[in-house]
Amino acid sequence: MEVRAFSKSYDQNPVLRFPAFSFEKGAVYAVIGANGSGKSTFARVLAGALFCDQKSSPLPAGCKVGYMPQKSYGFRMSVEKNILLGGKDRQRARQMMEGLAITHLAERRADRLSGGETARMALVRTLMKPYDLVLLDEPTAAMDIASAALAENCILDYRRETGGVMVIVTHSLKQARRLGDQVLFFHQGNLLEWGPSAQVLEQPEQEETRRFLEFYGA
Amino acid sequence: MKGNKDMQTAIQKAIALIVSGDRELCNILLVTAKMSLSSSFFALCIGVPVGIWLGSGRFPGRGVLVVLNRTLMGMPPVVCGLLFYMLFSGVGPFRKLHLLFTVTIMILAQLCLITPLVIGNMETYVSGIAGSVRETAMGLGLGPVKTFFLLANESLYQIFSVYLLAFARAIAEVGAVSMVGGAIAWKTNVMTTAIMQYTNRGNFSLGIALGMILMTVSLCVNIVITLLQRRFR
Ligand SMILES: Nc1ncnc2c1ncn2[C@@H]1O[C@H](COP(=O)(O)OP(=O)(O)OP(=O)(O)O)[C@@H](O)[C@H]1O
Ligand SMILES: [Mg+2]
Repeated sequence: MEVRAFSKSYDQNPVLRFPAFSFEKGAVYAVIGANGSGKSTFARVLAGALFCDQKSSPLPAGCKVGYMPQKSYGFRMSVEKNILLGGKDRQRARQMMEGLAITHLAERRADRLSGGETARMALVRTLMKPYDLVLLDEPTAAMDIASAALAENCILDYRRETGGVMVIVTHSLKQARRLGDQVLFFHQGNLLEWGPSAQVLEQPEQEETRRFLEFYGA
Repeated sequence: MKGNKDMQTAIQKAIALIVSGDRELCNILLVTAKMSLSSSFFALCIGVPVGIWLGSGRFPGRGVLVVLNRTLMGMPPVVCGLLFYMLFSGVGPFRKLHLLFTVTIMILAQLCLITPLVIGNMETYVSGIAGSVRETAMGLGLGPVKTFFLLANESLYQIFSVYLLAFARAIAEVGAVSMVGGAIAWKTNVMTTAIMQYTNRGNFSLGIALGMILMTVSLCVNIVITLLQRRFR
């Protein structure tokens, strides 16, 4: 899947420049980078939630995109109804809720959940149907370790079932390693380095990438 | 001392009037209810969708529309009354409709006053939640219609509050309705215009009676709507 080059600025202030890029069908891309490096902006533009400077989506026409924002939002209705907004298949909803251990929350109001519960619900909601491109912005950042593990399994299952591209923003290198075939490293609004996970995470070419990874003790 | 005594008898008379179910009083109440319930309801029907659209839309000119609406929110009722009077009077373009001095034109004039308030309040509220709601809805592949209803559902609590604001404005308003309605007894006289009339004529007891009823009705409507609002929280 080909993505056209695009940029995003706020009041003449460039916060993201992204080159023309080719995403491989069925592959998972982990996006890493410091706070404010433009990861969410990247996801937002691809999701169509934000206009880039070019004013038109950089994605091919008719590309179906699923997107889980960094801040999960529970609509003022039950968890189950929230999840069915993502796709109508009740059986799948049940299965996915079991997968993330939120079956007991089904009847609860989604706007009254805890942060991690909301994130789990939002992940299930996003993975209810297949898309050409799925963007998950720090899906497990609010989750406890056990829930994060369940979430990763869910993501891997979803990947096996559907053949689309997945982009996962994360601050966990372990997660990037477990989920990502490829890693994209963002630095100050630029895609600085990308390639197979092992290569970027273990033998980065760029000095900036090395410095970033150092903080993780990698 | 004398003034105090007058006040006392006026209140006594007012209570007697209310208890006896005075026919003119009942008629005034009926017209008031019809007018304020209609105008606040229709203002809600128009203002809520427009407010949601204005608060969540991303189109050029949105800012201009918001400022225009905010200006309309401050329109003095007498100016609105004057406008409708000119449009519907003997020289106005809508004179053939014969609406001047009817309850209908009072409702129309109030709509013109209240709808901007509803729009403005909804716009402010919705613009606060629109970002997350739209982003989330878009991420699930939901279209604009579905997103609109989600926004309305998220704003339910606010919609009740806005209704109370609209109703309060409608029932308390006097400038516009007296100009276009003419405060005709048994026809277009509402509580506020009647209070003015009776006070001018020195008939304080009827004025006080109406004032007390006005506040009581307001209290009742507020209690009912607030209870409803709690249920839909
Ligand atoms: N609406 C906005 N107006 C101005 N600047 C913005 C706006 N939204 C984001 N930015 C800026 O754009 C830059 C990139 O933000 P972005 O949210 O993409 O970062 P991020 O990589 O997702 O960071 P994090 O790891 O904290 O989530 C930041 O410097 C941010 O301050
Ligand atoms: Mg982010």
